[in-house]
Amino acid sequence: MQTKVEELSRVKEIGFMGKVTASLSHEIKNTLAIINESVGLMGDLLRQDVPENWPQYSRLTELTASIEEQVQRSANIIKRLNQFAHSMDKSLADLDLNETVRQTVVLAQRFASLRRVNLETELDSQPLHLLSDPFRLLYVMFGLIERAINCSPKEGEVRVKTERSGKKFQVTVTDQGTFGPDEIRALVSASVSAEAEQGESDLALLAQTTEALGGTIGAEQETGGLSKVILSFPATMPTI
Amino acid sequence: MAEYRVLLVDDEEEFVSALSERLMLRGIEVDSALNGEEALGRMDEKEFEVVILDVMMPGLSGLEVLRQIKSTHPNTQVILLTGHGATREGIEGMRLGAFDYLIKPVDIEEMLEKMKEAAKTAHMD
Repeated sequence: MQTKVEELSRVKEIGFMGKVTASLSHEIKNTLAIINESVGLMGDLLRQDVPENWPQYSRLTELTASIEEQVQRSANIIKRLNQFAHSMDKSLADLDLNETVRQTVVLAQRFASLRRVNLETELDSQPLHLLSDPFRLLYVMFGLIERAINCSPKEGEVRVKTERSGKKFQVTVTDQGTFGPDEIRALVSASVSAEAEQGESDLALLAQTTEALGGTIGAEQETGGLSKVILSFPATMPTI
Repeated sequence: MAEYRVLLVDDEEEFVSALSERLMLRGIEVDSALNGEEALGRMDEKEFEVVILDVMMPGLSGLEVLRQIKSTHPNTQVILLTGHGATREGIEGMRLGAFDYLIKPVDIEEMLEKMKEAAKTAHMD
């Protein structure tokens, strides 16, 4: 069991990572701003001073437009990086589970695309407020979604659903993989071994973190032979 | 003749240079400063309807500059430049009386629109 000093140390380490990542993302944004204005000025000067019948006019116009698009694309990626960095600011915050799932799915999207897996969400229409550790919650959700993506066949689908179920909030990750609920439950409750092969203890480690957050990981069979991994938390109102 | 005068304040010289030139091409009268102290000095020499002010600068911070502008030049409208949206600095800036904020990298048309609105408000005060 972690001592309080170890826990404090872990919180400080994560906070350091978040602070530096946020600072670096800010610096990159400044660089993007310079590129954006410089290429914008190139476009302005082209349109103002260069006749349209100049041979390279249209090619240069295309190139400046393409650079502006990529700047915007980079800015969106940096925004996601910055949001991720700020998840490490505090170890306890009032969160909306829907927003955390949204953020996690955005972070996992590239991993899904690389495996040609379709990632879908079905979010509860009401906010699901939870007092929790933003970074660790992201870590658990990402771990479950990544696992589902890796289990899925190419062109398969992973679905992430949030809902209030009685006195619990649930995040259900459904995949088209071959692991049945019994196998998943066994992996969740397995002992964590430092000597285990890479990936063997992943679900057990996620379960440990989930337990530390006050939640549980379960598994069920979905209709059509699909597997569901269910992350549950008590639906208590936040008090901060 | 330009309808309003703008002071652009940011510590990134290349950003200030390129953006100033773009605004001047669009008929805006622009002056610039690379830090907070220089910005406040410029404002003592000349009236500006609008200040575009970077939030994160070394030395005198954007928020401190904003505070001083609101105290000594209450009619001048300040639009903050921030790296990210609803940050502590952005929210605090709005509380201190900033007209609005823009997220870098800025869309120049959006900036022109906000500057025009800010200048109208500056003239009304």
